[in-house]
Amino acid sequence: MFSLSQRFQQTSNQALSFAIFAAAFVVATFCAQLYQDNVFGLSSSIGNIQPQINVRTSRFYGSVNGRPKENLKISFDLESDLTPLFNWNTKQIFVYLTAEYNGLKKPSVKSEVTLWDSIITDKEGAVISLNNAKSKYSVWDIEEKLSDRNLTFKLHWNIQPWIGPLVYGETNGESPVTLPQTKPKSQSARTSKRSEAV
Amino acid sequence: MNLRLELTRFLNLCFALASAFMFWKGLSIVTNSHSPIVVVLSGSMEPAFQRGDILFLWNRNELNKVGDVVVYEVDNKEIPIVHRVLREHVDETSGKQLLLTKGDNNAGNDIPLYAKRKIYLHKEKDIVGTVKGYIPQLGYITIWISENKYAKMGLMGLIALSALLSNE
Repeated sequence: MFSLSQRFQQTSNQALSFAIFAAAFVVATFCAQLYQDNVFGLSSSIGNIQPQINVRTSRFYGSVNGRPKENLKISFDLESDLTPLFNWNTKQIFVYLTAEYNGLKKPSVKSEVTLWDSIITDKEGAVISLNNAKSKYSVWDIEEKLSDRNLTFKLHWNIQPWIGPLVYGETNGESPVTLPQTKPKSQSARTSKRSEAV
Repeated sequence: MNLRLELTRFLNLCFALASAFMFWKGLSIVTNSHSPIVVVLSGSMEPAFQRGDILFLWNRNELNKVGDVVVYEVDNKEIPIVHRVLREHVDETSGKQLLLTKGDNNAGNDIPLYAKRKIYLHKEKDIVGTVKGYIPQLGYITIWISENKYAKMGLMGLIALSALLSNE
């Protein structure tokens, strides 16, 4: 017996299994290609990091109930060649510069924050060369103060494929920076603000 | 009309529905996420994800890293949001992690989207899963069915018609 619905089922089953096989093939060769290009050993150089700390009191700069919060901005130089990340299954790469540090009041708290990121959609844009660039975000910590800490800067990347798994990695080359201590000026500003509120 | 035949057919239909449900719940248990496959609804992560793309989630990781794309739910809002982790703060003694997220295509971070007075997400409570895999555009059919009433009626009609016409 042969009917239209049976025919439809057969065809759709075949199409589905072919699609699954094709996707598996694409993903496998994509991963093999990445290993062959040695993408997990790419290097970067982050230099000339100039931190700048401001005290903000807006909720959108991390302040709770108007209490002052230290915000960090930096300027930096960045060199990296990420062209090996581009192959035939790469839709875009997302590059981000992060800083890692430990808590001051609670040293058991480990943090990582993004200061700059960028979306690269073609191979020509994958050679990054920034000079005295400004950080994209104004960064605050869960603690009120961010000053007087050791930050480690690193460049990470994420490949967004056309199909398949999202691939993450970090470049070799990290750059440590110690943030300066804040002047007692902001401390007095904080106490005067409090007394005003009372 | 043969009653036994009709009942068998009904049983087959139940079997198909039950196995689909079992597959979904099984996947839920394996990934530890109540919705392990999601369809992107907004353009806030463009060009990485467009409307209609299918994402596969994993929620067995205890901590998220900066740069991970996570799906989270805000209290009192039904629609899950797919955005990227911008900052993470983890207390290694308690294992609790706070996350701040941002959509690649949005100018600012997600604090205005969070529940009232919240400025961080909690990894344990708010995160539905971390995006691990991606299939483009295929989920558009579910958006089409849920947002277009003619498509919905057409699909219902097709199912009814095929149920009526199919003879074992």
